[in-house]
Amino acid sequence: MEDNVKVSVQHLNKKFGQLEVLKDISVEIKEGEVICLIGPSGSGKSTFLRCLNRLEEITGGKVIIDGHDLTDEKLDINKVRENIGMVFQHFNLFPRMTVKENIMLAPVQLKKMTKEEAEQKALALLDRVGLKDKAETYPSQLSGGQKQRVAIARSLAMNPDIMLFDEPTSALDPEMVGEVLAVMKDLASQGMTMVVVTHEMGFAREVGSKVIFMDGGYIVEQGDPHEVINHPKQQRTIDFLNKVL
Amino acid sequence: MAVFFENIGKYISRFNDAFVVTIELSIISLILATIIGIVVGLINTSKSKSIIMKILKFISNIYIVIIRGTPMLVQILIIYFGIAQVLRPTGFSWLRLGGTFGAGVVALSLNAGAYMAEIVRAGIEAVDIGQIEAARSLGLPYSKTMTKVVLPQALRTMLPSIINQFIISIKDTSLLSAIGLAELTNVGKTVASTWTSQTMSLFCLMALYYLVMCTVLAKVAKIVEKRLSYGR
Repeated sequence: MEDNVKVSVQHLNKKFGQLEVLKDISVEIKEGEVICLIGPSGSGKSTFLRCLNRLEEITGGKVIIDGHDLTDEKLDINKVRENIGMVFQHFNLFPRMTVKENIMLAPVQLKKMTKEEAEQKALALLDRVGLKDKAETYPSQLSGGQKQRVAIARSLAMNPDIMLFDEPTSALDPEMVGEVLAVMKDLASQGMTMVVVTHEMGFAREVGSKVIFMDGGYIVEQGDPHEVINHPKQQRTIDFLNKVL
Repeated sequence: MAVFFENIGKYISRFNDAFVVTIELSIISLILATIIGIVVGLINTSKSKSIIMKILKFISNIYIVIIRGTPMLVQILIIYFGIAQVLRPTGFSWLRLGGTFGAGVVALSLNAGAYMAEIVRAGIEAVDIGQIEAARSLGLPYSKTMTKVVLPQALRTMLPSIINQFIISIKDTSLLSAIGLAELTNVGKTVASTWTSQTMSLFCLMALYYLVMCTVLAKVAKIVEKRLSYGR
């Protein structure tokens, strides 16, 4: 394996009972790459993303993150997850904690930082996503875009080197999409390895190093974002893009 | 009525003593019931596939079925008289464990514990799965996810049901009069049997003690509920 391969997915298979949602997926993701997963709903892209930190149990094949085989039963999955940030469509902020406490929870509980260090880190991260003044606020008082930016800050608190985004802008009002994408662009420009499930073709084209189009549990087409989005080769990709663009 | 107020002074200290017994019984039992409820509730919501967990789940399910499916009075009789009879050859006697008070605590805790377990289970299951996924994706283990993220949220949802159970259990202490425990109902009955001209007034006085206890608890609960409403 090359040194800079962060994620290696080999013949990944995922079944929910009898239903096969991922079929023989193989992908390699190198350090600093931004992979955008596109495709119709039900195509398996979110499930694929969730297999990368084992929020979904893997039925077949292998997922190797930084040399750790996620299918290894002896693996301490919590240790691996510390290095993989995840951002959800519905934010999933902890409602009973302030914004600052949301961000501090993992570093303090996992003894990565003292309370003071975690607080400094939280404020620095909030500054980075443009929400320093919201540190003491509860999530219910924030707008959708602000919530998602806090969620990004929270997932960055453990200093992950891979970030997973599961349709981060799909639950947002249109005018709030931009502020979240801006934070993601900023992350990408600083060399973060990112896997993004998205319907934002503009973002995929501008920021993505690679676009993967999935349908029916298969990877149908992948490659350079401009190539895949502007000149798709497969009929299913063409049909899908015609509908969304 | 005048006769009642002129003479009640002779008996009031007996009522007050019984009131204290009822309160002690309730507090001790409800603390134990809460512990039982949390432990059994956590066992029943665990997704672990280990054999030990499966056995524990099986046991706790049987426990809940038995408690929910039998009257509390029957449970009290089984625990006080039944257990004593079966264990007599081993030298066991409830006298060594606080007599009727000890048996009352056991019966009340086991009874309320089963209902509390169901309240805890429902409360945990009502927490959005996304909360658990967010915590786990940060690298928090299951135990910390429960104690730091899930249970604090579940507590707010569970609180009204927990208080409801507390109130039911406080009133259920009256059933312990059946084994001769000197709690309110038992003492009330005894006094009423010697002062037969005042049956109504004595029983109403007895009822008033329960009414005050339960109402105060309900009021306190409302205040706590309000305080726990932040972040909503």
